[in-house]
Order: sequence, then structure tokens, then C-alpha cells
Amino acid sequence: MASSTGSSVIIDSTAAQYAPLIILLPMLAFPVILLFGKLYNGEKFWKQTLKEGGLIALPVMGASLLLALWLISDFIGAYGGVQKLSDWTWFTSSIWESGVATKEVSFGFGIHVDHITVLLLFVASFLCLLINTFAVGYMNTDPINDNRNHRFYAEFVLFCSGMLGMVLADSFLWLFIFWELMGLCSYLLIGFYYERPSAAYAAKKAFLTTRVGDVFLMVGLAMMWYLFGSLDYDVVFDKYEIKSVAESNAAMLAWSLGLMFIGAVGKSAQFPLHVWLPDAMEGPTPVSALIHAATMVNAGLYLVARMFPFFGAEALHGELADLAFIIAAIGGTTAVMAAAIAFVQNDLKKVLAYSTMSQLAYIFTGLGAALYLANTLHWHEYLADGTTKNPDYYVNHAIVIVAFGAALFHLFNHAMAKGMLFMASGAVIHEVHHAHHHLHHHDHDDGHHDTPKELVMLADYLEANGQTAFEFFASIDLDGSGEIDTYEFQTALKKADVVDLPPWEMAPLMKALDLDGNGSINVPELDLTLGRIRNEIEEGHHDEFDAQSMDNMGGLASKMPLTATAMLVGSLSIMGFPLIGGFWSKEGIIANTWRVALEDPRFMYPALCVLLGAGMTGFYMSRMWLKTFAGSPKGEVAAHVGPTNTWIKTPLFILTFFSLAGILFASMGFTHWAPDIEYGLMSDHGGLWGGFLYEMEHVFANEKAFFFILTYVALFIGAVVGPGLALSLYGGALDEGEEAKPWFTPVLALNAAVKGRYHWDNSPFAQSGFATALSNRLYIDHYYDMAMLKIVAAFSFKSAEADSKVIDGTIKTIERTSQQLSTKLRALTTGSARDYILMAAVGTLTLFALIWGVMA
Amino acid sequence: METMQPFGEGFATALAPEIVLVIGMFTLMIVPNMGDAKFRIPLTQIRIPWFFGGKRGTLDSDPRLPGVFASMFFVIAFLLAALSYVNGMNVTMIETESGYDLLLVNEFSRIFELIFYGALALASIASINRIPATSRKDRSALGLYNNRRQVDFYILLMTTGLGMSIVALSQDLFLLFIGLELASFSTYVLVSFMKETKEGTEAGMKYFIVGSVASGVGLYGLSLLYLWSGSLQFTELTLAFAENGMEPLPLIALGMLLVGFGFKVSAAPFHFAAPDAYAGATSPVAGVLATASKAMGVIGLLRILLVVASPEATDGAAVWLIALAVLSVVTMTWGNLAALGSTNPKRMLAYSSVAHAGYMLAAITAIGALNWEPEHINASNDAALAVVTALIFHLVVLVCFKLGAFLVLSILENEKGGHTLASLGGLAKREPLLAATMFIFMMSLAGVPPLSGFVSKLLVIMGIVKVALVDVTVNGNLTFSDIHWVWYLALLMVINSAISVFYYLRVGLVMFFHEPEAGREGPLPAGRSVRFAILACLLTTLYFGVGAGQLISLCESAANALVGAW
Repeated sequence: MASSTGSSVIIDSTAAQYAPLIILLPMLAFPVILLFGKLYNGEKFWKQTLKEGGLIALPVMGASLLLALWLISDFIGAYGGVQKLSDWTWFTSSIWESGVATKEVSFGFGIHVDHITVLLLFVASFLCLLINTFAVGYMNTDPINDNRNHRFYAEFVLFCSGMLGMVLADSFLWLFIFWELMGLCSYLLIGFYYERPSAAYAAKKAFLTTRVGDVFLMVGLAMMWYLFGSLDYDVVFDKYEIKSVAESNAAMLAWSLGLMFIGAVGKSAQFPLHVWLPDAMEGPTPVSALIHAATMVNAGLYLVARMFPFFGAEALHGELADLAFIIAAIGGTTAVMAAAIAFVQNDLKKVLAYSTMSQLAYIFTGLGAALYLANTLHWHEYLADGTTKNPDYYVNHAIVIVAFGAALFHLFNHAMAKGMLFMASGAVIHEVHHAHHHLHHHDHDDGHHDTPKELVMLADYLEANGQTAFEFFASIDLDGSGEIDTYEFQTALKKADVVDLPPWEMAPLMKALDLDGNGSINVPELDLTLGRIRNEIEEGHHDEFDAQSMDNMGGLASKMPLTATAMLVGSLSIMGFPLIGGFWSKEGIIANTWRVALEDPRFMYPALCVLLGAGMTGFYMSRMWLKTFAGSPKGEVAAHVGPTNTWIKTPLFILTFFSLAGILFASMGFTHWAPDIEYGLMSDHGGLWGGFLYEMEHVFANEKAFFFILTYVALFIGAVVGPGLALSLYGGALDEGEEAKPWFTPVLALNAAVKGRYHWDNSPFAQSGFATALSNRLYIDHYYDMAMLKIVAAFSFKSAEADSKVIDGTIKTIERTSQQLSTKLRALTTGSARDYILMAAVGTLTLFALIWGVMA
Repeated sequence: METMQPFGEGFATALAPEIVLVIGMFTLMIVPNMGDAKFRIPLTQIRIPWFFGGKRGTLDSDPRLPGVFASMFFVIAFLLAALSYVNGMNVTMIETESGYDLLLVNEFSRIFELIFYGALALASIASINRIPATSRKDRSALGLYNNRRQVDFYILLMTTGLGMSIVALSQDLFLLFIGLELASFSTYVLVSFMKETKEGTEAGMKYFIVGSVASGVGLYGLSLLYLWSGSLQFTELTLAFAENGMEPLPLIALGMLLVGFGFKVSAAPFHFAAPDAYAGATSPVAGVLATASKAMGVIGLLRILLVVASPEATDGAAVWLIALAVLSVVTMTWGNLAALGSTNPKRMLAYSSVAHAGYMLAAITAIGALNWEPEHINASNDAALAVVTALIFHLVVLVCFKLGAFLVLSILENEKGGHTLASLGGLAKREPLLAATMFIFMMSLAGVPPLSGFVSKLLVIMGIVKVALVDVTVNGNLTFSDIHWVWYLALLMVINSAISVFYYLRVGLVMFFHEPEAGREGPLPAGRSVRFAILACLLTTLYFGVGAGQLISLCESAANALVGAW
């Protein structure tokens, strides 16, 4: 929606006029790729020259990036950040306005560009292009994807279009529309391997969990519409509009923002709606990179950042401080929780998934702190009355801007580093997988994969306990009917401690066992199937090689040098290693949270969380790198891994540069990246060198003792304690004869030295109940499932019944009646012209009667 | 406003599109008859070649030639009509020496000319490759009728166009009727053009009989009006109505004229011949009947109800308000319900076009409900403008998606399909693009955003609601009883649209989820020109949905030209 009123300056530059193309190009590529994929599926030209659509998507994403860069440079050129709008009106309509008169509302689309937009726009379009490049190297070389990659690329470009649209849109309504478009695409992409039940389940989980948040978001938006009569940014961000709303209904506005924040929690996978994100790793790796680093999870952050004008409004001074605290507290909780779970993960991608959750939580905490500052400090040039000069203007203004900028800068750094980490992990998995294939020339489709792994576990269990199938059967046939149904079987599996599955995951097991297809299992069926499985195990056919597990890696630094480098740089950036990418923003977030904690004791909680989290990040990131790349190869597969292809290497190389160049961006004043017209790029401290000096001084030699000490404490925890623990436990020197690149030498040497000297036995820790709880994700998923079963499932059965009887019944009745009426009416069309004329005569007389009636 | 006399200075410029059509007719008569004939001067041996008759060349005996020529002339006429928008509309009145108004060229007539020529151009382009020889053993390579028979078809299309544009231009009820009859008679023949098939002949015959009865009733009404006022000029009639329009004579006449035009827009219960006619005619012709022919009827209704028996003339509500409201409700409900059970897609589309007629009648009804007291006049004018704009917009976009749907069926007709829903089965497998296109047309008919059908329906509904709220807007206080009851027409429209989605979606269901009928596997017969026409329909359907703004402003200027004449 777009209306022409509002206070923002409208500059319709050429770049802004072309900006809709940034969204439209990928959106149009979607049907093109899908269609061509259908038409030319399997043909040589399509497969090899166009990479099944990958090379259609690539130029499109490239064009989007170029247009985005044009828009960004145009925006920066305007110096001082003016908002630009390029409106396109679909149609204008009258609507009800408080029951009295009608008011004109234009429906259309507009482009809104400010500092937040620009940052997200660059991140999204840039990473989308790189991930696209990566995908060409990753997806098209795996035979399992053959002849269906077009689906991947089509969904991919639609996803990108959703993200870019969300960033560029000029109203919360369009933001929501694109938000949902992304939700749909993430569902499709996570479930790309829909033939695997786990992928289908993960896709559903992601979709439904984020939908929970979206419902709240929608209610929040409805409330905002009620308050402002519009969802356009230039209306709702208008300070006079905010003022009038603040005077009449500030509490409702706070609620509206709070509900919208829940939407962000779902989308950005924060506690308690975080459960979907680790499962979403079922999607292909480029999807993981896309969803977890570049785009979708950032959408929630973007939404919260978009609320800045409300928090910063003088009219709402202090009203929203509680909400800011909630944002920071949720962030702090998630940061520690996710980092703790990441400690025990052995799946390479899962470590990264939890790391993503944790880092996003950092950004939320940073945003919470920044929004708190914006809401409680007088940071505008004039005080609330609009005429008195604010004496603290310069100090407070700088504090707010820097705090907000730090959070957004962390978003930038994290997106770059995590995008790279995901792609690098993808490269590793890809190559390990290939090596595995290479070694064990076996065909994946030889049938034994039909056997669910739970049944294998059951067979193992019976073997271990010396039970026969018959004995087991007798123990589980609770009602003694001679047949066991889903429920009994599920209970039995749970009781025997084999596996605890929710009922909807029992279907494949039942199917595998239920040979005669009558819906229940009897003794011969169980005996036959388990016997077959046991045979398979004995013949050694059943080998479950997990290419994602770090237990199958190790010592890869010499075999995949570029990937190892990229992963090292990315990990260091996430850890906040001095001078690299994430360091600048992470220190900023920690410092700002503590700044708020000094003001408001409640903030001690998130402040302690982020400080603790820094150390935990250092530990799990180091652990991941060391387990994968250092030490000797675990298993013969890891010893045979080779380097990866150019499509994969290129984006890794570019992103390595971006992570290393953190200092450059910091010097450019990225921490000043906030929606305020006073602060442009490099406006403050005299060019790049000046900026560099300023940042260095600010971080390492802060004149305030509190921040000075804080910096070094954070550094010590994050870059020494955490990694130190990991160095003492994992990795080690490479095998004899393995040559690593020279820049790995200090890391590997340090690792060898620390491990040699301080290695300790962490098995009591690893076997403790706490570690079990962590590897079971703190049982949160479990409790959600239980709640689903107890409350939702019962409710759902009832409502399904109501649906089929009441609603469907009504509709069926209407349909049947209509059809009957239709038959009757059509029977009047006899086919004889005489009857037609008769009917016309009846009609004529009726007309006369009616006119006569009015006249008389 | 410029005035001129017939064949006076500037006449050719003002009526350029119509003149092009007349030239086109003569060209079509002459060119296919050109040969090597020579004329011997009597009493001598001198033979002068005069080219008319004799042995024909390969080019002018090509059966595709008339279609190509006709399409060309329609396109030229369309472009000429569109061209008049470029440098601002030159409003021209053509009158007799005694000052008797005949034809008025303005934004209103131009936009209808665009509708007519657009629809006819698409229909004739689509027909180029598709009038096959069914019963004759044709010797031409393309299996088409020979081009003399083809010529008949296209000449009839041209006379249809000519008659229609006279309806749009006329300022005199009699002239309007002549145009209407010219167009109608041509369509009767066009419907039964496939004389070899039983359905075609029967349908044409029925259409002709019922149409003649309707025309006869209308003509009788016309004569009563003339008897009453002594003139059939719109301006004179308007004045006469304003003075003593509540006398029985003009009201009887009004009722009869309603019947005449009601048949043209196929309003229930005058619509009975329409489904038969649509099913019997070739699909492009049926498409013309459902779009251009309907637009012509709407012009008649607008002229007679809004200009002649204008609501302003009477105090408060118009006399015809209740009658038309009932007509519109019956029409839309009947159309939709009957379409629900139709298994012949052409009949289904015919009934859907009946339903659309109901929507348009509802819009016209709304104008009759307007309050023309001095303090309401501004709001009423606005509302009336909105409704007429919506109506014209609806007629324009109808050409895009309804004609488009008929053209898709026309490809199916080439393989003797298109008469049963089952023949559409598996179209998505046979021709995915065509199926997707058809689905878009169906969605547009159902009014799904962002297609143009949605915008048109929305505009109509918003227009009606705007009318219903005039009192509320003026007085500024809202109680539910203040809302005029025409609001319920909008509500009924929404309910009816919901019903209609059922049968539109069913087409999609059959195309995408059913298997092709036996013997209908593989791609459809080629036909480049039909596909081109369908593409044009598709693009405009999409464009007018997303970029409706320009077309709306065009329709607004047309509505202004009409409303200004009240």
C-alpha cells in the first residue's frame, strides 16, 4: 500500500524507479525456470549448459545485485540518508473511516529506502548471488538431485524475491506479504527431499512453528492498522501520527509492537519458537545457508529494527522500555541456551544451526539494548515540546546511534560469516560424501534403505536382550488380541527404551512391518521382518554412513585448504577474534548491553548472558573447526577426501575476504548504521584512516574505565578461555606427511601444544545428565510434542469432526441444492424457440407489472 | 464541439474507422474475384484485360486471404480509433442540415469502437486458419473452405462491426435501432454459418426467431415513443421525459425497449436462445456475441435508461428502478445456477455471460437509485461516474478474458472437441501453456486478484456501494437504515461470484487433474493465428489487472462524456 501523504522526503531517483525490478526479476524467473524445467527435463542442453536452471537464476540474481548496488550507491550519494519512494498505484478505493465518512486509500506498492533497507538489501542480494553460485557447484554434482534441480532453483529465486521484496517494501502490509512468501518457500526448500520422512517432517515443523509467530504478527499489524488507519511506513513513522496515537492509546501500541515481536521470534528462531531451525538442516546445504544466514532468519531482526522509529519517538519516551527489555531477555536466553546445545552436537550443520540461533540472539539482545536506549534517553535535537534545545543531544544521540549500529553491523558480519560457514560445511559434506561413494561403490537404491532405522534399533535391542520376536510380541500385546496396533507398538518401543516416536512418525514403521496391509501386526509379520533385518545386519549391508557427522572427519585441513581457511576465518569472525568481522559488532553489543545494565538492573541478565555466551561461542566454534580439520582423519573416508570444485570455491573466497575485511567496514563507520539523517557513511571522522584510528581507540583504549575493562574481559572470555578449552580437548597435529598451508601452522601447532600439555578427560562431563539433556535439546521439542498430543491433537480431532460435519455439511448442502436448482433451471431451456418466446413474454409482462407498480 | 454534416468537410476524418470498414468490405468482394478475365470490345477483336473474373492466381485464391485482409482492416480501424486519443479527443457532432443530431464522436463512442474492433479483430485473426471444410471434399491444401465462402464470413463480421459502431455513435434512437439490427442480422447469419452442422443451423434459426421477436417488441416501443413525443432524438426525448415522463405511453414504450435491449445483453428471461446460439456458433463468433454484442446492448440500456428516462427526470428514484433490480437479481442468479450444471463449456460460458449481464444490470440499477436533490447532486454525480466507469471497464476487460476463453475452446474445436468438458481433460499434460492460459482466463472470470476480472468486479461493487452511501456521505451520520437498499445488489453480486468460482474452478480441475479422453492425446492441432490472438488476450488480461490505472482513467473520460450528456 502506498499513500501520498506523509512527512518523509520523496526523491524519485532513476535508481528507485528501477528498484521494483530487484524484486520482479527473480519473481519472473520463478515461472520461467519451473516451466523450462518441466519442458526440457533431462535434456543435455538444459542439464549441462544451463545447469537445470542454475545458470538462468545466476544472471537474474546478478542483475538484482547490480540494481541493488545502484540503489545503494544512489542512496549513499544522497548523503544524509533521505527516504526515497517510488510509488506504483494499483487502484484507489474508498474505505470506512470511523463510521462517518469515506476516505480514499490507494492500493499499490512503493519502495522505501533508508539505512536499514540498504544494509539488508546488500546482505540479501549479495549472499543470494553467492549462494546461487555455490548451489551450481553443489546441487548439480549430486546424482540424487538429477532432473529435479529446476525445482530447487525456481523455489530459490522465489525465496530471494520474497526477501528482497520484504526489505524494499514501503509498508508493514507488504512486509507481511513477502514475509509469508518466504515462509512458503522455506517450507518448499526444506522439504526439497520430500521423499525422506524426516525432511517432510522438518518442513512442516518449520512452517507451522513460524506460523505460530505469524499469527501474532498479524494480530499486531491489525492493531496497528486500527491505531493508525494505515500500515505505510511514511504514515506510521510520522512523528505527529505517533504523537497522536501515543496520547490516546500508547498501551495498545506497545501491545501491537510486542505481538509483532513474537512474529520476529518465530522467524528468527528464538526461544521459545526455536525448535524448527535445527531440523531445517534437512534441506540441501545451499538452502541452509540461504535460510539461516542470508535471509529468512534476518527477516525477524529486520522487523524489530523497523520498529526503531516507535522506540525513538519522543512522544513515547519510556513507554516501551519494558518491551525493549523483553527483546533483550529473549535474546540473552537464546544465546546461552543455543550455545550450550551446540557443545554436544556432532553434526557439522547442526553446530552451525545452533550457532546461528545463538548469534541471532546476540543481535536481538543488541537491538533490545539499542531500543531501550532510544526509548529512555532524550536523544533528539529538540525536547518533546519541539522548541527547547536538548542539552544532551550530542552525547545521547551518539549513544543511541552507535548501539543500534552495533546490532545491525553484527547482522551484517554474521550473515557474511555464517553464509560462508554453511557453504564451507556444505563443501566438506559434499566431498566426504563423494569420498564415501568413491570408496564403497555401492548403489543407494538397493532396497535396504526401505528399512526404517528404528526397526534396526529394535532388532539390535532384541539381539542384545536375547529376546525372540515372539517373546517381545507377547510382552507388548497389551489387550491380548494377537494383533498389535500403532498405539501398542509405540508404547512398547518407548518402554523398551528403543525409540520414543510421536504417533505420526509411526506410519513408516507400521508399513514396513504390516506385510498383509491390514493395519496391525501379528507374530509372523514381526518375526519375518526382524529376521530379514538381522540377516542384513549380519551381511554387513546395513551401513549407516553419516557424511555430516564430525566423527567421520578430522585432518581435512591438508585436503581442502581453501575450505579450511574459509571455515577458520568464519569461525574466528563468529567468535569475535580481534580485528576480524564479528569482533567489532560483538564487542559493541556486549558494551551496549552493559551500558544499559548500569542504568537498569534488569538488564544484568541479558548482559551476563552475552558475556557468558561469548566464551561458549569460542568453545563450540573452535571445537567444530578442530574436529573437522585438525588431528588425524577418523576413519578411512576422511583420509580420501579431495578438494572441491570452482563453483563452490568462488563464493567461499569472496566471503573470506568480506569476513577478514571487518576492520574496513568498521572504519567506514558501519557502527553508525542507523536510520537517522544526521549520520551518513564516513561522515564523522575524516575518511578511512581516521575511522580506523577512531575505532581502534574506541575499542582498545576507551577512556571510560568500565568499558576499558569490559572489552578485555570479553576478549579474554571469548578469544582465550573458550577456544583454549576446545584446543585442549579436540584436534591435534595432522598426520605425518600431510602438508598444510603455512597459515594453518600456528593454529595446528598451538592445538598440538595445548592438547599435549593440558589434555583432560571430559568424559564425566560428557556422560552427565546435563549433557544428555543438551543432546536432547533440553527436552523442549519433547514437551512441545507432548503438549501437541495432549491438547492440540484432542482439539484437532474434535474440530476435524466439526469441520466434516458442520462446515462441510453446510457446504455440501448448499452445493447439492444449487446443483438441483441448476438442473431445474436448465430444464427450462427446452430447446424449442416457442418456449423461449413464451418465457420472454412472461418476462415482459413482469417488467410492465413492476414499472406499473412503481408508478401507481 | 465541432459540428458537421454527413459527407461534409472533416467527415472522413471523424468517421475514419467506419470508412475503413466499408472500404474493407469492397476490397473483400473484389480481391478474391480478381483473375485474368478480358473484355472484348463489341464488334472488334480487341480484348482489354479487366481482371474481374476468369482464372484466378494462386495468391488471390488462397483461402486464408479474406481472413488476413479482414484482420488487417479491423486492426487498422482499431488503430484509427485509438489514434484519436493521441492528440486529444476531437469531439464531433454529425447532424443534418436542419440541425437534427445523428452521430456523436466522443470519448464514449470511441472506447466502444475500441471494444468492438478489438473483439472483432481478435475473432477474425483467430478464424484465419479455422473455418474447415466439413462436408465437402475440399481440394485446397489447407483443408479450408474456398475463399469465396470465407469472404462471406468476414464480410458479415465487418457489417457486424459497422452496425455496432453506429449504435455507439448514434444520437437518435431510430438510428441506434438501425445499427442494432444491422449488427444483429449479421450475427444471426454468423451463428448459423456452419450450415453443414445440425446445431449451427438450428441455433442460428432459434437465435433469429427469438431475436426478431425481441426486436419487434423493441421497435413497437420505439414507435410508441415517437407517437408520444414526435421525435426520437435523445435530447428531445430527455426533455419530454423530464416534463411528463410518468404518463402511461412512454412507460409502456420504456418497458418494451427494455425487452429489446434485454435480449441483446441476454438478461433473464430473454436469454434462452443465447446458450443455444453460443454452442452452435464457432467459438470466435460466440466470443464476439458474449463481448462486443453485449457491449452494444449495454449502450442501448445506458442510452434509454440513463439518458432518455434519466433518473434526474423523476423525483428521487427512477421509475424503472425496481423492475431493473429484479431483472438483475434474476439474471445473475439464473446465470450462475444454470452454469453450475453445464457440462458443455460453451454453454457454461454462455450462462456465465448471463451472470455477467446481471452484474452489469445491477450497476445500472444503482444509478437509478441516486438522489438528485440539489445538496446531493455532487455526491450523486461522483457515484454515477464511478458506476459507469466500472461498467465500461468491465466491458473492455471482458473482451480480454471471455473472448480469450472462447478462443481456447476454438482450438479444441479443430479436433472436434470443445463441446464437452471432458474434451478439456488433461489439457495441462497435452499443452501446459494453453491450460495455464485457460486457467488464468477462468480465474479472471471468477474475479481473482490481481487479474483484470477482479478489478472490474471490484470497481462495480465499489460503485454500487458508493451509490448506496450517497445519503450517508452527504448527511454525515451513519445508521444502517440510511444505506440505500441497492447495497444488497452488491452483496448478492459477491454471493453470486462465490457460487461462480465453483464452475470456473471445475474447468481447471478437468484440465489439470483429469486424464485426456481417448483419442485426444498429444498436442492440439496447430493454429498460429489463434494462438497469437489468445496471447493478446492473455497479456491484456494480466496487464489490465496489474496496471489498471490507465484504462480506468480512459473509461472515466468515456463515462464523463456520457454523464455529461445527462
